[in-house]
Amino acid sequence: MTELLHPYDITQEADIMQPLDFNRRSRLKHVDRTFKSEIINIIRLTEMEKLFQVRILDDTARERFSFRPGQFVMVEVPGYGEIPISISSSPSHKGFIELCIRKAGLVTTILHKARRGAPIGIRGPFGTHFPIEKMRGCNILLIAGGLGLAPLRAPIFHVIENRSNFKDVHILYGTRQPSMLLFNYQYEEWDRIADIDLKVTVEHGDESWTGQVGMITDLLDEVDIAPKETYAIICGPPVMFKFVCNRLTKEGIQMNRMFVSLERRMHCGMGKCCRCNIGSTYTCLSGPVFDYWTVLNLKEAI
Amino acid sequence: MKYLGIEPEVLKIAVFDFTGCEGCELQLANKEETVADFLKVLDVVNFREISSVEGDDYDIALIEGAVTRGDEITRLIQIRKQARLLVALGSCACFGGVNRLKNVLDLNKVNREVYGKDPKETLPARAIKEIVPVDLEIPGCPINKDELERIVQHLIWDIPFQFPVYPVCFECKQRYTTCIFELGQLCLGPITRGGCNAPCPAGGLGCYGCRGPAADPNYSEFFTIARERGYKKKELDEHFNFFGGFEGVG
Amino acid sequence: MLFKTLSKPEFRNLVDLLLGSTEVIAPKQIGVNNDGKPLHHYLPVQEFEEIDLEYEITEYSAKSYFLPFRENLSSCRFEDDDWTQEIHYRLQPRVLMGLHSCDINALLKLDKVLAGDRFPSPYFISRRRNTFIIGIDHYPCEGGFCQSVGADVVTHGFDLYLTDLGDRYFVAINSDHGYNVLMQVDAKDTTGQDNKDYLEARQRIASKFEPLNMHNLPNLMDIEFESEVWKRWGKKCLSCGSCTMVCPTCYCYGVDERVSMDGREGAKVKQLYSCNLLDFAAVAGGHNFRADRETRLKYRYYHQHRGFMETYEEPLCVGCNRCGRVCLAGINPPEIIRDLQTEDQV
Ligand SMILES: Cc1cc2nc3c(=O)[nH]c(=O)nc-3n(C[C@H](O)[C@H](O)[C@H](O)COP(=O)(O)OP(=O)(O)OC[C@H]3O[C@@H](n4cnc5c(N)ncnc54)[C@H](O)[C@@H]3O)c2cc1C
Ligand code: SF4
Ligand code: SF4
Ligand code: SF4
Ligand code: SF4
Ligand code: SF4
Ligand code: FES
Repeated sequence: MTELLHPYDITQEADIMQPLDFNRRSRLKHVDRTFKSEIINIIRLTEMEKLFQVRILDDTARERFSFRPGQFVMVEVPGYGEIPISISSSPSHKGFIELCIRKAGLVTTILHKARRGAPIGIRGPFGTHFPIEKMRGCNILLIAGGLGLAPLRAPIFHVIENRSNFKDVHILYGTRQPSMLLFNYQYEEWDRIADIDLKVTVEHGDESWTGQVGMITDLLDEVDIAPKETYAIICGPPVMFKFVCNRLTKEGIQMNRMFVSLERRMHCGMGKCCRCNIGSTYTCLSGPVFDYWTVLNLKEAI
Repeated sequence: MKYLGIEPEVLKIAVFDFTGCEGCELQLANKEETVADFLKVLDVVNFREISSVEGDDYDIALIEGAVTRGDEITRLIQIRKQARLLVALGSCACFGGVNRLKNVLDLNKVNREVYGKDPKETLPARAIKEIVPVDLEIPGCPINKDELERIVQHLIWDIPFQFPVYPVCFECKQRYTTCIFELGQLCLGPITRGGCNAPCPAGGLGCYGCRGPAADPNYSEFFTIARERGYKKKELDEHFNFFGGFEGVG
Repeated sequence: MLFKTLSKPEFRNLVDLLLGSTEVIAPKQIGVNNDGKPLHHYLPVQEFEEIDLEYEITEYSAKSYFLPFRENLSSCRFEDDDWTQEIHYRLQPRVLMGLHSCDINALLKLDKVLAGDRFPSPYFISRRRNTFIIGIDHYPCEGGFCQSVGADVVTHGFDLYLTDLGDRYFVAINSDHGYNVLMQVDAKDTTGQDNKDYLEARQRIASKFEPLNMHNLPNLMDIEFESEVWKRWGKKCLSCGSCTMVCPTCYCYGVDERVSMDGREGAKVKQLYSCNLLDFAAVAGGHNFRADRETRLKYRYYHQHRGFMETYEEPLCVGCNRCGRVCLAGINPPEIIRDLQTEDQV
């Protein structure tokens, strides 16, 4: 048999052989390779949420891994599925990342069963980030509803670690019930050492709850906002950020100074599967972090 | 097998057959490559197709076949009491299946035709869920073994299982099949739940809907399509009634 | 681009050479439909006689040779509570023959998404570069509107491209691969007469198109976002995804993982999906961002004619109308586009 056509072996391409650059810009890589990582610790936060501390096993890969606040990773439980999860730890922290995961379906349920030491896979980081660098010298409002505190935690850490770069910092957090409050063991630390104004509210209190009861927008009444020098980061369900953003717009903050993180179904994180499309925008590439003006302009966004 | 640091529980499972062809039960035992592994993760009690162990100690009851006799009702209620999870296996158990066909006929006449001089007690065929609550329905005539294996894996790990929401057409197209409608036959594919990998159209036969309706089926458009192509109510009903999954549609 | 001519007997020699050397996929008649119309698929062929280059259109596009309906992205071996991941790309060369201009243009569009951009897909690129493409000119297919979306001519994206000049083919050569393969047989340099015949043949083809009014479509889609047109057509959609499966440009997918029954192996399987399917945009917790048929159908058109335009300055759709032909409910782009154009003009 004559050989007219010669096989082209993509695995021999120089690009694909290089170690993965985690921001993978325009280079041919084993993009679907997942990095084996170990769950080094599991912290139970509430009935539904657990915090996983995850370390990439390969030393060089771990060294190279870096992310910006607001980015997400694709977490794979081989044999069961792969899901997008925001990184919930400090961007400056090397060694391991933290993922706060709510039990919601297939993959999250099996993750909730996993024990310490279990090997899982990580791809990423993917997506846009909160442009913290632009916020230097300004006031920051960090506003979260429910599970929204998970993606918000990365910018919170960043602000705490670089406190002198920012003026007044407020964290406003609301959930439905006291039992659903995430990371309550950290509130005191945030409130005290970092000179941060922390306000927490729940929609429905219980016997032991002594804090505020009400909607997250109520918390805004207690904050003096200087619209010209304030940025806001809002994470939570669409109804919640819509309310908050409209309110902040009334206070005079420009819409392109408010940032939200959108949630969509995702199967690749790389602008290929289309599942995350809003109109014609890929949430995984152009998002998940968008400024509010962009969100308003996205057809079918909210 | 240990995974993620956990050793999953071996499930005690029992299979009961009611009125059906036992085809589904055979499916459990017939995939030779995997049947040994299948049995490793399950502790099968009460299952005559592959093991002769009989016992009354089980967590999961798989029910195959429809209910057509009085004694079956008593037995079913008994099983429901004992089982933590009751699974209806196959179209007969889920919808009454082909047995339902006789419901529209004169039962006594059927009885005489089938059993001759020695007629048996027979009630209209009913689905399991018409008698006792069912936790999980696995439709199909017969059931799809791959799907069943996946479901069992999910049961073992106690994680949710989702059936495909799309209709049969979707998988039919993924097989390069030429549409049965193009060839001048009726097919329930557009409104039937996928997941079977569309073997019937691939074999040149329209889908009879053994897996019941897809999620959010577009019946009105389906009827328009069938009407435009000249199908009469009788033909449609014949398809709809075949497995009983489309009760009340038509 | 270089051009040559190839006599019909020499063309046959070329195909025989290819058949003897590698897998060849070509249009093949698989039967007739109820109205006696021939049905064609791109299928592997063994003999020259199986190939039917006179076909009007294939029912399915050739995309599944680049984006299989199901593909293993990776496999996993489990052992002692640990796993190792393996990834394989398809490396075997093959020939894909008889593609029409719309299908080649479709590949060029897929290239933009899957071979360019920030995350090029090695799965796709490997298949693409290992496929030797021979295209062929043809008269417009019934219902097609490729000319209206600028997909009736191709200038690259193939190795060889044939135009039938009766006793010979006019061959455009677009790669060194194509050149080397063509040199295996007796290809002639083109003469003035060849060029003249070729241009005339092209003119004959061009004159046969019926134009579809695509004017200002992207903006129109924004303006008609809430239009009744979508309600009317959306009501008919069966959410079956057939349109997407036969479409040469739809590329989206879902990923599912599974474990073998013995628990020793796992696979991460990509399955092409359709935005018309109910759970395309459904997320955990029960929310579905496109819960009704109308928004899903609209979204498919939106992606084809508006969204892709925004990113790449051209529509994704190549106007083959395969989706229109396959749809049992009769939902088809020419009629929808016409409706959109006329909706607000009395
Ligand atoms: C950018 C981003 C960041 C996120 N961050 C977090 C986080 O920090 N913590 C957290 O608990 N959850 C987060 N989520 C939501 C999380 O991805 C879903 O809860 C998860 O995918 C559900 O998977 P499942 O298999 O358990 O659910 P199932 O309902 O069984 O889902 C099956 C499959 O559908 C897809 N899917 C379903 N829901 C979603 C969804 N909401 N988003 C994306 N894909 C989905 C996945 O591929 C999943 O495997 C985030 C989502 C996005 C898009
Ligand atoms: S043969 Fe049936 S299942 Fe297949 S596409 Fe046609 S209608 Fe759908
Ligand atoms: S094609 Fe229809 S009848 Fe055949 S197995 Fe699938 S659902 Fe059942
Ligand atoms: S447009 Fe037609 S082919 Fe596409 S999903 Fe709807 S009914 Fe099916
Ligand atoms: S139109 Fe729909 S199915 Fe086609 S590529 Fe776009 S999102 Fe995917
Ligand atoms: S959308 Fe329809 S007409 Fe356009 S390329 Fe796809 S199948 Fe062809
Ligand atoms: S997650 Fe696949 S395209 Fe965005």
